[in-house]
Amino acid sequence: ENSPAPLPERAIYGFALFLGSWFGFMLYLIWAYVPETWLFSLGLTYWPQKYWAVALPAYLLVSIGIGYILLFGINMMSTAPLNSTHTVTDNYAKKHQQKKFQEEAIPALRDIPISEVNRMFFLPEK
Amino acid sequence: MEERPYRSASGAPIALRHRQHSASCRELAVRCPRLQLRSLSAVTSAVWLAAYGLFVLSENSMVLSAAIFITLIGLIIYLHFVKIDQESLLVIGSLGIQVTSSYASGKESTTFIEMGQVKDVVINEAIHMQKVIYYLCILLQDPGDPQGVSEVVPLFQSSKPRLDCLIEVYKSCQEILEQRKTAPQSS
Repeated sequence: ENSPAPLPERAIYGFALFLGSWFGFMLYLIWAYVPETWLFSLGLTYWPQKYWAVALPAYLLVSIGIGYILLFGINMMSTAPLNSTHTVTDNYAKKHQQKKFQEEAIPALRDIPISEVNRMFFLPEK
Repeated sequence: MEERPYRSASGAPIALRHRQHSASCRELAVRCPRLQLRSLSAVTSAVWLAAYGLFVLSENSMVLSAAIFITLIGLIIYLHFVKIDQESLLVIGSLGIQVTSSYASGKESTTFIEMGQVKDVVINEAIHMQKVIYYLCILLQDPGDPQGVSEVVPLFQSSKPRLDCLIEVYKSCQEILEQRKTAPQSS
């Protein structure tokens, strides 16, 4: 159904994107380098200022750099602090199973409370 | 009463003092590393060099006196509000748990949690500033909901002992907390 194999439609999309991106790049070069008077004589008087041909790439690069730092900061901010209950449990933790323990059957799936885990790890004498 | 050396999570040497006052009362105190002379002189020299640089640029001698003033006030504020000298945990079975932090200037701040609110004392692991650390914490319960955890109180926040020290404190606390299960309920 959803395989990444090449298909004829995908080849056409790829070629259309390839032509489109080359066209966009050539248009950007023409806008940045061709003098304004030549553009006016061709009748293209309402194109944006050439200032933006330099400003937009600069804005983009600074945004990418800030994005790295921003992502790092957002990660640090959404880490639960040491005194929050989210380090111990959450709304989806299954409560104690009420089923009785049957011999030779796999026990029911549940979240083991942290007190029990601690007792198992740290209390037995070596 | 013994005092044993351990290490904090960042490698600084700390000491754990374990006192048993009675069968159901234990006191565990962790002493944090002292303020190092080399870091104090490094910070003071940096601030004063920066102030001297500003003085050379601006020819204003108030910068130098301001730098001295800032250093003194900053040191006093640091010793009184930030630098913790010792953190202690006093567990009294059937009464409660008392957590005391004493600062380098002599100030002590105390919190008492009564035993009815204490669900358990556990060693939890959590992410803290690009590290995963073990820390001891008291789990508090709502009186109306004995199965749920209402609050988590982390202990030994500024000394941050490593797991070997925490295991010793944990075993000591569990011995006292187990007594309240076998003791007759009084309320």
